[in-house]
Amino acid sequence: MSTLIEFKDVVKEYRAGDHVLRAMDNVNFTIDEGEFVVILGPSGAGKSTLLNLLGGLDSTTSGQIIVNGEHVENFNDNELTKYRAKNVGFIFQFYNLIPNLTAIENVELMKDIVDVNIDGNAVLNSVGLGSHANQFPAQLSGGEQQRVSIARAVAKQPTMLLCDEPTGALDSKTGVLILNLLQEMSNNKNTTVIIVTHNAILAEAADKVIRIKNGQIENITINENPKKVEDLEW
Amino acid sequence: MLRDIAKHKTQFLSIFLMAFLGVFVFAGVGGESVGLEVNSNNYYKDTNLADGWIYSANLNDDFVDKVNNLSSTTQSERQLVMDSIGNFSNDPDITLHFVENNTISKFYLMEGEELNVSDGDGVWIDKSFADAKNLKVGDNITFEFNGVEIEKEIKGIGYSPEYVYHASTSSVIPDFNKIGFAYLSYKAFPMDDVPYNVLNVKFDGSAQDYNNLLSDKLDGEYNSFVEQSEHSSVSQFSEEINQHKMMADIFPVVFILIAMLILLTTMTRIIAHQRTQIGILKANGFTNKSIIFHYMSYGFWLVLVGSILGLVVGPMTLPQLFYPSMSATYKLPSWNPVWSMDFIYVALLMIIMSLLVSYFAVRSISNENPADTIRPKSPKISSSGFVEKFGFWQKLSFNIRWNYRDAKRNKFRALMTIVGVMGCSALLVCAFGMYDGMNDLKEWEYSQINHYDSKLVIDEGTSISDIDNVASEVNGDKIMESAIEIESDNIKKSGSLLVLNDTKLITPTDYDWNKIDIADDEVSISQKMADLLGVGIGDTVKWHIMGSDKWVNTKIDKIHADPISQGFIISTEKLDDLDLNYTPTSIITEEHVGENYSSIKSTNSMKDMISSWDELTESMWLLIYILIFFASLLAVIVLYNLGLLSFTEIEREIATLKVLGFKTGALRRLLLTQNLWFTSIGFILGLPAGYYILSIMWESSGDSFYILPSISLTNFLLTAVITFALSIIVNLMFSRKIKKLDMVESLKGVE
Repeated sequence: MSTLIEFKDVVKEYRAGDHVLRAMDNVNFTIDEGEFVVILGPSGAGKSTLLNLLGGLDSTTSGQIIVNGEHVENFNDNELTKYRAKNVGFIFQFYNLIPNLTAIENVELMKDIVDVNIDGNAVLNSVGLGSHANQFPAQLSGGEQQRVSIARAVAKQPTMLLCDEPTGALDSKTGVLILNLLQEMSNNKNTTVIIVTHNAILAEAADKVIRIKNGQIENITINENPKKVEDLEW
Repeated sequence: MLRDIAKHKTQFLSIFLMAFLGVFVFAGVGGESVGLEVNSNNYYKDTNLADGWIYSANLNDDFVDKVNNLSSTTQSERQLVMDSIGNFSNDPDITLHFVENNTISKFYLMEGEELNVSDGDGVWIDKSFADAKNLKVGDNITFEFNGVEIEKEIKGIGYSPEYVYHASTSSVIPDFNKIGFAYLSYKAFPMDDVPYNVLNVKFDGSAQDYNNLLSDKLDGEYNSFVEQSEHSSVSQFSEEINQHKMMADIFPVVFILIAMLILLTTMTRIIAHQRTQIGILKANGFTNKSIIFHYMSYGFWLVLVGSILGLVVGPMTLPQLFYPSMSATYKLPSWNPVWSMDFIYVALLMIIMSLLVSYFAVRSISNENPADTIRPKSPKISSSGFVEKFGFWQKLSFNIRWNYRDAKRNKFRALMTIVGVMGCSALLVCAFGMYDGMNDLKEWEYSQINHYDSKLVIDEGTSISDIDNVASEVNGDKIMESAIEIESDNIKKSGSLLVLNDTKLITPTDYDWNKIDIADDEVSISQKMADLLGVGIGDTVKWHIMGSDKWVNTKIDKIHADPISQGFIISTEKLDDLDLNYTPTSIITEEHVGENYSSIKSTNSMKDMISSWDELTESMWLLIYILIFFASLLAVIVLYNLGLLSFTEIEREIATLKVLGFKTGALRRLLLTQNLWFTSIGFILGLPAGYYILSIMWESSGDSFYILPSISLTNFLLTAVITFALSIIVNLMFSRKIKKLDMVESLKGVE
């Protein structure tokens, strides 16, 4: 397996007046293609900052982020937009679907930004929502909305899926279904999936677990034999 | 609260401004027009302006007795009113009033001594004329009439209620160097037997009743009766006041509506933003009432302060802006803005409206329980309509689908945007239409219809041979213009009669400016007059020349159109046929006439007439610029506020789209598309609305004006360009926001 993502001495500082908050402090790690990665840590540890930097939503203060051999930290706004469109599939805690568009339209929306032919029905079928294609987000349950959001993220066949607390707003049963789906994506389609969560149990299902604390990497563990999400003790 | 206001300073500033402007304009223009009304009414009352004027060639004592014996007559006074020429180099027309008592339509003294009816040596003259000629009390002045010259000493200078508006026959705006009036005692008349020709009367009851009574009891003993409201000075001035009042009514309505609109959208936004905070307050035991009061107070204070400021500043400033230009045309002894309780009522109404609007926006919060308010508001549900069922829906781009659904989901916002743009384009059409109308009128009247170079006004009583001499000398054509009164089915209108003698210098046209031929035996009525009387070709109307009691009946054969003169056009033969005297009043010629002829009262060149027209319309330009300015302001404020409202609502969506990898340009287009849709719809709807307002404005411009509402292609395009440019500029303001939008923050932001 080849290295897809590499963080080299990444530092991210937020300035609030004279006060400087170091949210990322010399972070180094690599993620391989097709890995199912879980990033763990308590609130405020810098998990989301890490995801935002990787997703091209925010820029580093110093250090390098190399994705597919490209230096993301040097990208300008336009290049970042292109990078997001092509490489990153986002899955948010609150789904962030476009309320004006039906499920299938939310998925096919991606046709406007990437040069891929998307069969919305096929993608929705793959997340088990084929029958809800013409419903609006507000008419769907939370779990269904999250599945639409996954369908939207995978439809454009991104290099990686970035999931920020994807089950945070769901009950545990629905949560398992969603995580299961994400694990299958990683195993069957060789999609790199990176999940940020504070739920330590998920660590057992991951190929690689990155623990962060106070903006620094606490440790990185690699599971040789990750469990299946559905087999975890919740 | 102050923090909230600071945060939404643009909106609150616009609410404040609109509230201020609304009351400012209403109270300002209102104070001005009410001031004019009150000033003029006081003036009319002080000087005991006649309720009516009875004109007759010979008002002997017997007739006066008869009038006095009519049950409703309360007072009467005879005058001899006649034209004279003042002894100055430019032969000014001075209307002389020889008065018996000076009890009705009294001379209003400004300098010198009171008018004394037993003083045969003095004259009391028009202040405007005295100022123009630099005449002082004690100076001597000589008048010439019917070949007689009289020289009198100026005893007083002042105004007359019958001459608030004093225009000569040759120009619409008065040139006080050329016209004036003077009051003299009946003793000043060179003959003992004064041939009185006007009886000023005061009476009880309506003018209509009095008119009927007169024609009942004294039919045939007098020529005509003019009631106060028809008197040219009174009616011109009250029409002017009415126009100002209309302006005072329309503008504030627009401002107040905008103020309310912005208040509504802003409050809705604040409430939406502060849901959680409100929920917490409620959870902590604040009552709905206290929360609603809190939010209602926002609009209340702003509108209150804005209105009070408007109430104070409006009447202080606006009248000062209008009065100087008005006092050049109208003559009143005093020009004071007057306060009216109406202003306070309007301000109060606006404050109440602002409370209602705020309440409407805030109300929703009280219906929810604290637990719900703490959670984010569930999004409005979209639905599929029938449009989506068609196959083509699938082929539409995301941009169009998104905008269509967004508009559908926010109908109120869409409607407001459309109404705002509609108002803007309607005002623009109106402004440009006025501009074009004024220019059209000038072109039509002074180039298409009348294309002579000079018009020589003939002195009254000049013999035909003298007239012919002058006419042949200047190579001109004679025409006759008379004031007439036309009656049809009990509608009486005064108009003008133009008698043409086969001339190439005046071309009657139809409303499309096409030349029409009026045969020698035909009578043509002007379009406006036909409309006013409700008659058409083939109908018969009754009319007489003012000053003569001979009524004739004529059938209408043609309809012509003229922008500023309404009445009949006939040939000399037809006049002869009707057994009416042909007395040419002017000579028109293609030559430029510089010299003076003894039988010619005044010579007006086309250039003079055009420049006097330009002067008259100068104040119109100001109005047009104001209209354009406010139209633009309206569009910017409405579009900006609604844009801001919609932007806040969809901020999250925009951020999501941006995260997903949509380029800023694509998102900009997304917002622009919606903006352009609404602008287009508003613009298209605004055109007929503007056209309608324009046609009302032209119709209300007075009985003598006939202007068709129209707008030139250039100005039409300009309207479109301005409307769309404003829309795009406002949109660009939001584009900057898209670029600055912090994706991370907006996505987290579930507060």
